[in-house]
Amino acid sequence: MTRPLVVALLASGALVASAAPALAHHSFAMFDRANPVELEGTVREFKYVAPHSFILLEVKDTDGSSTVWNLEGGAPSLLAREGWTRASLKPGDQIRLMVDPLRSGAPGGAWNAGKVKFKDGRPIIGE
Amino acid sequence: MRSRAWIAVMALAAVLALSSGAQAFDEMKYPDMEGQWRRPKGVENQWDTSKPVNRQEAPLTAEYQAIFEANLKDVAAGGMGTDPTYTCIPDGMPRAMNVIFPMEIIIQPKVTHILIEYLSMLRRIYTDGRDWPAEEDPSFMGYSIGKWIDEDGDGRYDVLEVETRNLKGPRAFDASGIPLHADNETVVKERIFLDKANPDILHDEVTTFDHALTRPWVVLKSYTRVRNPIWVESICPEGNPHVRIGQEVYMLSADGELMPAKKGQPPPDLKYFKQPR
Repeated sequence: MTRPLVVALLASGALVASAAPALAHHSFAMFDRANPVELEGTVREFKYVAPHSFILLEVKDTDGSSTVWNLEGGAPSLLAREGWTRASLKPGDQIRLMVDPLRSGAPGGAWNAGKVKFKDGRPIIGE
Repeated sequence: MRSRAWIAVMALAAVLALSSGAQAFDEMKYPDMEGQWRRPKGVENQWDTSKPVNRQEAPLTAEYQAIFEANLKDVAAGGMGTDPTYTCIPDGMPRAMNVIFPMEIIIQPKVTHILIEYLSMLRRIYTDGRDWPAEEDPSFMGYSIGKWIDEDGDGRYDVLEVETRNLKGPRAFDASGIPLHADNETVVKERIFLDKANPDILHDEVTTFDHALTRPWVVLKSYTRVRNPIWVESICPEGNPHVRIGQEVYMLSADGELMPAKKGQPPPDLKYFKQPR
């Protein structure tokens, strides 16, 4: 898989808090918390379901092709209490977020609500 | 005439109530546990919340400590270790009382229900004085018998003492995979009570007796009350992307295909599929 067009690659895991939800019901160790990456792309689908929400994010690769990442986030039980709804993200939305990528290198990862914004800098949930 | 008829109706109602042995439920005798109970802000979902997530110091036997450490190695490599709930099976007892998502307590005269939003878990605690059933299928939530206690003698119950038996597994104490014994002979004893100084804090002193432990493990769980809550449905299988095939756990991709979760993870065995020659 070609390298995704990341805005910034943060190599120092010691300085960066994990992008993954803090309160998962199972281990998130399959995601590399020490080496988060920043992804920018277009929302294909926002799955607002238990046990975890998912953002399917189309990210352009360095060779011009694109890959759809399957990004696991917090459960609706957590997100709803922070103001999220199933309409908070829609297909076509351009977003930027920090992701703990799958250790296997496959296009998957974990994100949390505190580390995702629209590409133009607006928060997902109103200030 | 009208008032005589009304008196007759009331008298009949009183006779019927007495003859049926019905007793009104005096909710004033019970503590006010209405509303939603959540983990306090800043408290994560480990079993012993007085200790850090990765330093629980569980009193495990040597055998089960080895199992736990093998689990940690697997988790560090990207596996799920000994935590079975990624398949959407319930936490079971005692782990359910981590209350990852909020719970509600409904007190009735003969049974107290605990509804836990996370994985839609339901506990029934029978308080009708019954004995342990001679035969009952084991369950993740177990069979719970409770007794209301008036500790301070003020005529109002203030503690619900509960014992839970008849559990099935696999179960772990929390997401780190601290295991309970495979024999599923766990017994859980609880004392559930409101905080004396602040009735919007609920405590659950949980003692776990299990053959994976060298001694009973006592922890104090606490929850805070939300009076006007929102509730969110939590149906785990709806969007679970984690798939166990054989001894391996994979993840579904955005397009619904299998992806490896660990580096170098082998694909599943397709021996039951007719392969083109």
